[in-house]
Amino acid sequence: MLLMRDNFYLLILLELWCNVEKGERMGRAEYKVEGGKLVKVQVTTEGNRIRKVKITGDFFLYPEEFLEELEEALVGSRLDESSLTKLIEDAVEKRKATFLGVSPKDFARCIVMAGESNG
Amino acid sequence: MVEEWRLLDTGIHDAFYNMALDEAIVIARSKKLVPNTLRFFRWEPSAVSIGYFQGMEEEVDIEACKKIGVDYVRRRTGGGAVYHERDGELTYSIAINEDHLLISRDFQKTYENLCSWLVRGLRLLGVPAEFKPINDIVVEGKKISGNAQTRGMNVVHQHGTILREVNPKVMFSVLKVPSEKIRDKMIQSAEERVTSINKFLKREVSFEELKESLTKGFEETFNIKLVPGKTTAFEEETAAKLKEEKYSTREWNFKR
Repeated sequence: MLLMRDNFYLLILLELWCNVEKGERMGRAEYKVEGGKLVKVQVTTEGNRIRKVKITGDFFLYPEEFLEELEEALVGSRLDESSLTKLIEDAVEKRKATFLGVSPKDFARCIVMAGESNG
Repeated sequence: MVEEWRLLDTGIHDAFYNMALDEAIVIARSKKLVPNTLRFFRWEPSAVSIGYFQGMEEEVDIEACKKIGVDYVRRRTGGGAVYHERDGELTYSIAINEDHLLISRDFQKTYENLCSWLVRGLRLLGVPAEFKPINDIVVEGKKISGNAQTRGMNVVHQHGTILREVNPKVMFSVLKVPSEKIRDKMIQSAEERVTSINKFLKREVSFEELKESLTKGFEETFNIKLVPGKTTAFEEETAAKLKEEKYSTREWNFKR
């Protein structure tokens, strides 16, 4: 059992190492919207593409589940503010979602800032 | 005939039950089992609630909470982290049918509508409160109430906190600060940005007096009669289930 667990950790380590080898980078950023809310982004990128993104903050977004859907939809996108804004706006339109205290552009800006940061 | 709502005063409970009961009332309302409802409640143990989109570990110092016996829970509404001190604050929630005249398609407008009774209730107490977009109520520019809202199942759910007393020092011992170096600065700035009823009026306002003023403010603002009532068996059963399966679980509370 112990051995299995050790192997498990070894695998995770190996995977982490491989990911670094593949050129994955992780970055974070925070962005306070003027007169609005705070957005925090943690993003893993590979080259100029988003591999994984987590958006947190004290904003309002309806329906709430939309954020998780959005995070998934962003995977594979280019780290570019205007194309990300467009992608988010289209997703909002499609889902009839509503933002309060933050806008699609703010999300896009913070994602790019996180992608360009050094961890 | 004057419109009637149910008024609930559910007393003092733990964070998980409190959030579970809020959702249970929304579900009961959506099934038309209960009328539109205003609920008052308090928290024991004191607890931190975080907004739906916040990261638990980003916002809350879990170790500090464990040390002083403060619970932590994720809300179903967005917004920021709130420290619900047992004797410091009163919490309310509203469950209202989405077709009601007070509900606008505009979310900002709906916040303003559903906060207007708090403004009036506080003014009745002698506190010159004002609504401040997006979701705050302020007195002379200092925050005294924060509110959060969501909608779904044809029901609008808004809950919020009214500060009777405020202790930024304890607040920042359970909330994460960007660095230890600036903890004192954050406490100081919170002292400047946040106020409470007792602090403003320079006297002790009891929870009973506060609830009375707010109830009157509600009835006057909306021309609605609040009828004291009880939770239904359906609501209690649903709340027990939601507490067990959702609000007290690590899966929910640490999902972000």
